[in-house]
Amino acid sequence: MSKKSIDRRSFLKTTAAAATTAVAARSMLAAPAVHAQEAVTLRLAGTGVNAYNEIADKAKEDLGLNIEYTTLVSDDVVRRAVTQPTSFDLLDTEYWMLKKIIPAGNILGMDTKRIKYYDQIVPIFTKGELPDGTPISNQGTAPFEVSYLEEEGGKSFATDATEFMTAIPTVYNADTLGIRPDLIGRPIESWAELLNPEFKGKTAILNIPSIGIMDAAMVMEAMGEVTYEDKGNMTKEEIDQTIARLIEAKAQGQFRAFWKDFNESVNLMASGEVVIQSMWSPAVTAVRKQGIACTYQPLREGYRAWAAGLTVPTHLTGKKLDAAYDFVNWYLSGWVGAFLNRQGYYTAVLDTAKEYMSDNEWAFWMEGEKATAPIVAPGGEELEPAGATRDGGSFWERMGRVACWNAVMDEDRYMVRKWNEFIAS
Amino acid sequence: MARSERPPYFPLMVTIFAIFVVFLYAPIITIVILSFQGPEGGLTFPMRGVSMHWFVELFGPQSIGDIWGAFRRSFALGLMVMVCTVVISLMAGLAYRHRFIGATGLLYVAIASLIMPSVVVSLGIGAGFELAGIERNWYTSGLGAHLTWTMPFGLLIMFAVFNRFDPAFEEAARDQGASGWQTIRYVVIPIILPSLIGIALFGFTLSYDELARSSQAIGAVNTLPLELQAMQTNATTPVIYALGTLTTGLSFLVIFVTVAAAVIVRRRQDRHGSDAGKA
Amino acid sequence: MATVRKTPANVIAYLQAFPMAAIFFIFFILPICMVVVVSFFDYQTYDILIPDFVFFNYVDVFSSETTYRTYWATVRFCVITWAITLVLGFTIAHFLAFYLKTVPTQLVCFLICTIPFWTSNVIRMISWIPFLGRNGLINQALMSLGIVDAPQEWLLYSEFAVMLGYVHLYTLFMIVPIFNSMARIDKSLIEAAKDQGASSLQILTNVVIPLTKPGIAIGSIFVLAIVMGDFVTVSVLGGGQIPSIGKSIQTELSYLQFPPAAANAVVLLGITILMIVALIRIVDIRKEL
Repeated sequence: MSKKSIDRRSFLKTTAAAATTAVAARSMLAAPAVHAQEAVTLRLAGTGVNAYNEIADKAKEDLGLNIEYTTLVSDDVVRRAVTQPTSFDLLDTEYWMLKKIIPAGNILGMDTKRIKYYDQIVPIFTKGELPDGTPISNQGTAPFEVSYLEEEGGKSFATDATEFMTAIPTVYNADTLGIRPDLIGRPIESWAELLNPEFKGKTAILNIPSIGIMDAAMVMEAMGEVTYEDKGNMTKEEIDQTIARLIEAKAQGQFRAFWKDFNESVNLMASGEVVIQSMWSPAVTAVRKQGIACTYQPLREGYRAWAAGLTVPTHLTGKKLDAAYDFVNWYLSGWVGAFLNRQGYYTAVLDTAKEYMSDNEWAFWMEGEKATAPIVAPGGEELEPAGATRDGGSFWERMGRVACWNAVMDEDRYMVRKWNEFIAS
Repeated sequence: MARSERPPYFPLMVTIFAIFVVFLYAPIITIVILSFQGPEGGLTFPMRGVSMHWFVELFGPQSIGDIWGAFRRSFALGLMVMVCTVVISLMAGLAYRHRFIGATGLLYVAIASLIMPSVVVSLGIGAGFELAGIERNWYTSGLGAHLTWTMPFGLLIMFAVFNRFDPAFEEAARDQGASGWQTIRYVVIPIILPSLIGIALFGFTLSYDELARSSQAIGAVNTLPLELQAMQTNATTPVIYALGTLTTGLSFLVIFVTVAAAVIVRRRQDRHGSDAGKA
Repeated sequence: MATVRKTPANVIAYLQAFPMAAIFFIFFILPICMVVVVSFFDYQTYDILIPDFVFFNYVDVFSSETTYRTYWATVRFCVITWAITLVLGFTIAHFLAFYLKTVPTQLVCFLICTIPFWTSNVIRMISWIPFLGRNGLINQALMSLGIVDAPQEWLLYSEFAVMLGYVHLYTLFMIVPIFNSMARIDKSLIEAAKDQGASSLQILTNVVIPLTKPGIAIGSIFVLAIVMGDFVTVSVLGGGQIPSIGKSIQTELSYLQFPPAAANAVVLLGITILMIVALIRIVDIRKEL
């Protein structure tokens, strides 16, 4: 035995130089592997929106599970999802992209019987309605439309709830315009203001074509210039009309820049390059944290909403699949929900999250009430002083006024061509 | 050599070079200033106080991303790419001093590798490994992806290096009975050594800063640029500027120490009247 | 040893070229073959890869006015960037090669020029906002010096900004090959010309430039190839409003429209290769190797 190992060692010595350096580099750099409890490692691919190290640490503590993040920008996440499903064990992706990811057949339907808190998941995802039973907007790719599969390994969506869920919601939100009240100096009430010549050269929209065009559609509908059957699934004529108006606005120098990543929107706003743009709630908080006035302005036409969820690839089996279910169940059990609610996002199971939030926090973030004590970030720094209220109010005031969802359009090839035309104009 | 005689327009040329260097450092200057933001400051002006806060934060745990893990990987990968690029480009450069079938083809493949948008190459490598059932890693598929980016530079710079390289040196060595390897080792390499150092610098820098070509080919853990880019999908703090300031500062320190050491050694040699080590 | 010496030169050449050829084969040729195949695939919104042999992805590329407009914009950037980096790069290389006497000084200067690139481009790209932006360093300086009254908006998110970014990133790619070509110039040649009474300008045009041509051509290939395929600089510094072929491909890829993106990439490759073939016809970079 020992002789054999020596032989192997001497063999190793004589392997090609490149191979040895690679091996050496690996052993040198790999974190000391802990084999003690045979902890399962799950590679979680997703964007940095909710890839908090605090969550991974807590999962390790509570479940003994190693979460290894592969944090990427959204485009790369989607590309990996369809071309390299074996490169991850869990995928955190936006719901609208499921429309393209699921038909590729790499995602497993998750058995709802194994989801402990399934019945408590917000009915936006499980029924397509608000808790009081009123249906939520189905313009665009509403999460409910892409939440269920006909069968476990299915490639097509079920029109009603089945036993197999495509994704377990992680974070979602209702987006609106962020504004710099100090630089605008008057009330803003409508999406139409985005194309108001008053803000020439000081506006921005999202640089994700299907979402940017939807921002524009919100504006045009508000201005009464175009009417849409479904802003999240435009016809060719609607796309033509919208792009034509965008080209006109671009020619007049209406836009300062388009943003793609969270942080860009923060920088554009904080630096004063832009005074009005579509934004995310935590991005507004990040601007305010720098002592710069920024309001997440509720508008009369409502919100453009989005949602993201955890999916499991088909290659997962046995222990790893069990671990994935454990992780998902733990994710919904409250601690993570509370953590993410405090960032300004909404999470899937509200009841459990509430248990992990103080009354003051819950009232501020979820019920739109005045903070009775300062609101602090998970890191400890103060976000809002006592007496502040959340822009847009309570969960139901905001989610109840969703006008459309981020979407993939049936005409997306045409839309992308037209978008490129807009950029080239 | 007319050492004392300065070439014409010397002050003008120095000025042009100085302006160019200032231009190169423009973003770095901004980064250095903003890395001293107060604890409440952001990535853009205005400054909200002055502090070392973000340097302290840089060494603490981050909420999003793993800067130091990614840094270690990027640094190691950069060194591996550097060595491979120098060795492989030198070999190929030597090959091009003879005629061989496929020489033109290989040159155009190298040029094509520069042109092809990196996202496309990366996607191809990632999907190819998936189809072949091979796991992707930064030191396998990632290394390969980076080499498709650095080798074209290495090869073409070798062309410039061997441009009118006098074969008389090698012929003389061979006449003296040196083997092919000895000729290269003791004649060719010493002559082109500065250029090889240049290619090494190029190779390391291109790899260390590579983003798009890595994105799909790197496997589960990120290189530094990818990690930094991923951090942009959440609120990012001046910690990344602190990293930039630190990198730049340390690089300067290393150069300064090296130059100082070289000067001291040179002085000592001069004093002892030895000519060892002189070119 | 003796056997090594007997090996014919061209066999050695194959061995020497092999590692590079092998790496390109595995990591570039094979993936690109896939791309070429995919460019003939059919595509539906919710079924992204349908094996087929159709030409409409190419028809789409060539029949769209946007394509020509985008190529025009990209080629224009290319030519302007090339001209600026060439003049700047040549000047700097000239300084490094002829004005600095020792190799260590040259190396230190190269290092100084390289260090900014060791701060990741992701970080540098963000820092252009506080540098060129409305409240950025340049505008503050200009206003405090009384040169302008109001912030200059064209400094950022404009063609100017994109150009500036290109020059910033790619001048070094011009300097290095030109410098290496210059380093091969026999100093006695210049001395001889000087002794014959040639002026500095004459030495430059009759001795230095002709002998540096391969370096110039190689630097030009670098700049041309990278700018043609760029999408990062153009996106960030153009504020997302300036077109480039690389960016169109990137946009298509973000919607997983692989076949059209593949067709676009193949066309880009073809066009740029043609440009470079033309360049190499003018200056043979392998001459006198």
